[in-house]
Amino acid sequence: MVAKNKKSSADAVYTKKAVQSSNPFDTSKPQTAKRLNPFDVHVNKEKFQILNRICKHDRGRPGVSRAKALQRREQTLGKQYSTKHKTNKFKDQRIGKHLTGDQLNESVMNARYLAEKLSQVRGSHKAEKFNLNDDELLTHRGQTLEEIEQYRDERSDDEELEDEGLDAEFTSAAHFGGEGDKPQDRQTAIEEMISEQKRRKNEIAKEKDEVYDMTERLDANYKQLLPLVAKATKDEMRERPPPDAYDKLLKEMIFEPRGSVTDKLINPEEMAKQEAARLEKLENERLRRMKGDDEPTEAKAQPTHRSADDLDDGYFVAGDDDNADDTLAYDLDGNLGTHLHSKKVAKKDAVDKESGDEDEEDEEEESGDDEGEEEESGSEDEVDNLSDLKESESESEAEAEPAASKAKKAAKQKAVPAMDTSIPFTIKMPKTYEDFTTLMAKYEPQKRSIVVERIIKCNHPKLEGVNREHVVKLYAFLLQYLKDLFEDACEQDIHSHFQLLSQLMPQLYDLTHLNPDRMSNTLLDVIKEKHAEFRKNHKIYPTLDTLIYFKLVSNLYSTSDFRHPVATPTYIFMQHIVSRARVRTRQDIAMGLFIVTIAMEFGTRSKRILPAVFNFLQGIIHLAIPKQQSDKSDIAPPFECEGPFSKLLAVASSEECKQLQPELLEAGDLVTLTITSDFKVRALNSSLLLIKQLMTEHVQEHTGACYLASPFLPLLERLPLKSYPAHITQHYKETKSALELLAAQKMKPLAPPERKPKALRLLEPRFEVVYDDKRRPKLSKQKEERVKLLAKIKREKKGAIREIRLDTAFVQDLKLKQQLQSDKERHEKVKRIYQEASIQQGELNELARAKKKKKF
Amino acid sequence: MKQKAAAKRAAATQDNEEEQTAKRVKVPQELQQKANALLNDKTLDTKALKRIISQIQSSDEDAGELNVLEVIFKNLLKRNCVYSAEQLKPNPNAKCEALYNETWTLLLSRLAGADKEQASMALKVCMQLIIAEAKFVHESEWPTARLRDVLGAFVKSETSPAVGLAAFGKYARCLDVLQLSYQLLPEVAPARFVDQPTAAFNYLAIINTLDLGKTVLAAEQYHLGAGSEEQPSFTYERTRKFLNKTWKGIMRSSSGLDEKLHRQVLVVLLERILPHLTNPILLTDFLMDSLHQFDGPIALLALQGIFTLMQQQNITYPDVYTKLYNMFYPRMFYNKYKARLFYLADIFLTSTHLPENLVAAFVKRLSRLALKSPTEDAIIMIRFVCNLLLRHTGLQRLICATPAASAEEVSDPYDETQADPVKTNALSSSLWELALLQKHAVPEVANAAQFVTKSLPTMEFDLGPLLESKESDLFDGEVKKQAKQFMLAYERPTNLALPKDDIVTKYWNIL
Repeated sequence: MVAKNKKSSADAVYTKKAVQSSNPFDTSKPQTAKRLNPFDVHVNKEKFQILNRICKHDRGRPGVSRAKALQRREQTLGKQYSTKHKTNKFKDQRIGKHLTGDQLNESVMNARYLAEKLSQVRGSHKAEKFNLNDDELLTHRGQTLEEIEQYRDERSDDEELEDEGLDAEFTSAAHFGGEGDKPQDRQTAIEEMISEQKRRKNEIAKEKDEVYDMTERLDANYKQLLPLVAKATKDEMRERPPPDAYDKLLKEMIFEPRGSVTDKLINPEEMAKQEAARLEKLENERLRRMKGDDEPTEAKAQPTHRSADDLDDGYFVAGDDDNADDTLAYDLDGNLGTHLHSKKVAKKDAVDKESGDEDEEDEEEESGDDEGEEEESGSEDEVDNLSDLKESESESEAEAEPAASKAKKAAKQKAVPAMDTSIPFTIKMPKTYEDFTTLMAKYEPQKRSIVVERIIKCNHPKLEGVNREHVVKLYAFLLQYLKDLFEDACEQDIHSHFQLLSQLMPQLYDLTHLNPDRMSNTLLDVIKEKHAEFRKNHKIYPTLDTLIYFKLVSNLYSTSDFRHPVATPTYIFMQHIVSRARVRTRQDIAMGLFIVTIAMEFGTRSKRILPAVFNFLQGIIHLAIPKQQSDKSDIAPPFECEGPFSKLLAVASSEECKQLQPELLEAGDLVTLTITSDFKVRALNSSLLLIKQLMTEHVQEHTGACYLASPFLPLLERLPLKSYPAHITQHYKETKSALELLAAQKMKPLAPPERKPKALRLLEPRFEVVYDDKRRPKLSKQKEERVKLLAKIKREKKGAIREIRLDTAFVQDLKLKQQLQSDKERHEKVKRIYQEASIQQGELNELARAKKKKKF
Repeated sequence: MKQKAAAKRAAATQDNEEEQTAKRVKVPQELQQKANALLNDKTLDTKALKRIISQIQSSDEDAGELNVLEVIFKNLLKRNCVYSAEQLKPNPNAKCEALYNETWTLLLSRLAGADKEQASMALKVCMQLIIAEAKFVHESEWPTARLRDVLGAFVKSETSPAVGLAAFGKYARCLDVLQLSYQLLPEVAPARFVDQPTAAFNYLAIINTLDLGKTVLAAEQYHLGAGSEEQPSFTYERTRKFLNKTWKGIMRSSSGLDEKLHRQVLVVLLERILPHLTNPILLTDFLMDSLHQFDGPIALLALQGIFTLMQQQNITYPDVYTKLYNMFYPRMFYNKYKARLFYLADIFLTSTHLPENLVAAFVKRLSRLALKSPTEDAIIMIRFVCNLLLRHTGLQRLICATPAASAEEVSDPYDETQADPVKTNALSSSLWELALLQKHAVPEVANAAQFVTKSLPTMEFDLGPLLESKESDLFDGEVKKQAKQFMLAYERPTNLALPKDDIVTKYWNIL
């Protein structure tokens, strides 16, 4: 206890001491640490410090390097020198040194191993005699024992273990004298034992082999049987009770085929959304074309090739949106491509549901219904086995068609056969225009559009290749037919003609979409022809059919484009007519107004202006002003400043005129020549409304719209309102206020858009080759290389010479050492000889003295 | 005679089959045979000749018959059978001469006729006979009386312009015909243009064919021949003298003309006369009167004349720009000489020393008119405005307002009704019209007006080809454009009306 305390206190003292004294040499490295002795270091002085130059030789350790060099030489040159003039060779002195190949058997190896071990034991220290952890790897025929053990068959381990000992009987007999047998002599007993042992071993080995073979065989069989066993057992184990209703139902529900993954059903809202998205995309396209800043380039050209993987989601190129010629598609019946019609049918159905009135257009829809139903019945039958063939589009259409229409169809089915008799379902494409007209003449006007529709369906280009030509021909026929209808139309039949045109419009639209290029060229040719006719005498209005073609263009084409191959020529043509043709009759005025309305249709979206339209409307107002002989007003041709033709629309103030109701312009106006007072009022009314619409909708946002509006004002001032009915006065006021609003428009003076300041041109830094201070002449690359090589050779040569010199010095040193040593040895020998000799002499002398003493 | 007639008839029946082949010569076979017979006779059978002439006179259908007369009389003139060489009292050729004169009257009547083919054929025969006559009768001297007759026939022609004049153009390129015509014209001139407007028109039309321009002089074509050294059939000096005389005659007889004739006089003056007048300064009054008394084309033509005088004679006319300015009005696009007006305006406004407010007034007026004019004129005017902005760089303030000025909105300070261009206050305006024209429906026009918002081109446009373009060129150009892609409407119409924004059915009760 005391001792412990003492120790702890001593510790405390020690620690205290340690804390107190801060030894300044604590941090110093011990003397033995490996570090450079400053006296060993030789520093090569640099005259100038050059940035970025790596200098390898600024400091060196001559002592160390000399020692290294010396050592190296001793190992190389020294060895050579020591074996100089020696002709000895290495000889194999091992056991079995003459044996090769097969002769080198195990016994030889063992003998060698043994000899080696013995020499090791002899040569090594005494301590190693007892080292048991000999970490030497033993090998057997090149393989380590561990490796050999890895490939041992593990299977019979346990059995072998059993055989380790001798069996009990034998041991009892052998070791303990046995039972009854007389003891034989030891020699025979041992031999017996050995033979017994061998026999047993053989038996065991044989048995093992058999067992091994059998297990192998059984293993193989078992693998084959395994699948059978698993099934057979399951089925046979249980005997099923007869399934009751619940089970049946359950099974049914379990095993009922689950529908393959398809697009999910589209409900009406989603469909509407998709449609809206499609329309929006088309609208954006159209707007881009309308702006026309970048003229359409090659990139926009219609792709001729369509990949089989095409998803049909490409942008809208004329007509290939839903009915491109080259898309193959099957409908539910497996017929080629009629899903287009089913789509239309669906559309029509929708229309039908909304309106629900039974006019003559219903017939058309009924026919559509009929076909739609046929298709649907087919689809119901085959819906399961054709499900993978279905076009997604047609599928969605078919499913979108609501079941609600079924009831309606049932009701309509009765009406269908009645109309079937009147028009056949398949109508052949008429060969000539005469055939076509006779075909059309066979049916009453209301049914003609259905006839055309059926011709299109029967001759759809998807059905047959020739039909491509047929539809183009049909389109040409229709254009010609329209021409015939309208060219010489009279007041009585103009209405029915217009109605027929109206009914034909969807068919014309479909036809144009079938082959936009061909159809458009046909129409364009017709317009060209009309223009050529008009050019011959541009003072006369063209025939009514020309205007009908204009309307067709307006309905079928994207007229808002900045530049359009059909719309632009039509625009120019209309401008020519309106600005050139003389206005003399009711027909002229009506046609002019008709063209004005069509031109406005062209420009509704693009808000583009056609000055001739404004001039014409000014002219119409001008015509309505009653003029005296004296006052001459200025109006641009084709209107006349004075004379009877300058006041065609002026009305005499009469009561009859004032009673007129507001009415639209009539189709009859386009074919009648005489101007009646009600026409005067109608024309003026329409003009006022047109002006108002132009001003408020078309040009309002344009800068400079005041220039278009202001010329109207003085003309309107002069209009005698008193002689017109009330609605004119009202429209007059509206129009005038719109015009005044625009005429007072204020505008910002034009200024070019601000340009961004032009950035300075940025210069890339130019890097030159590294400049080092050595002034040497500039050489070519090859020469420079050569100079470098020469310098290297020189340097190497110097180095080599130095090496040789050092080598010689080393060898001389060696020689000297040897000489000295041999001299020393000789000297010692001589000394010893002298010593021996002197000893010998001394002995001799002693003997001699001893003799002398004896003598004396 | 009877036998001959019988033979002829037989030949005629025989040749019935061959008539088809003979048709291409355009000369009736029968007549040709008759003529051949006549010419093959040793002695001249005047009666037969007379029959032929009367036959041709009465037939009045085929121009080819006149060829027969040419052949006959060329031969006769060659044989000296028409005119008697000596002044014998009993003139053996008297009958023939009478027939020859009769033929001439026939030819001249045909010449003045309304049938174009006949007239040109008759003219050809006349000119050929003149050659023959000069060659065989007058020893290569011009039968001036004959040419006078021809010119007289043109003047008297009942149609205007005379149909034969087109054919006369070919002969008018021959220098001798040119000189002689100018020499003879005063003799056939109608006394007062007002009384005989048709004759006056024809007269002016003849002068219009007689071009004394450089190309014609350089071509050196002659109808008869250049004449001898000492007496050349054409000298420019002489012709110029005759031309001046002719013009004096016209001036004398043209007083109180109606507009159409006045215009024609001015056209002839400008095209043919003015460059060759000895003292054009005398025209000043005439042109000034035309300029002040008339509007439209006459004033324009007069202005062109005055411009020439200003250029060559150094006259001063202070109001010329005001006049020019007032010639730009909407109706102008519908008269015939609008290209001339643009051409003239281009020249007048070439000088860069013109006051800026004057040119600005023109620029404003042109752009206003572009808003009302037909498309092709709008293009011309927009280009013209662009050229003016390039020439008069100060005017670019019309499209490049200062940032401060462009901040506030104003109504246009330009006064459209002011007649004096200097007072229109155009310089403080801006070219909003062109900004509006960028919205023109015809892409050509819209593109032409792009320079207002984009950048001015560096080079002036050449207006020449534009001035020559016709209104249908635009249509043709648009139709011919390659790389077509027919963009279709994507909304399917169910009836005549457009799916949305329909205007036709809004105003028309046609269904």
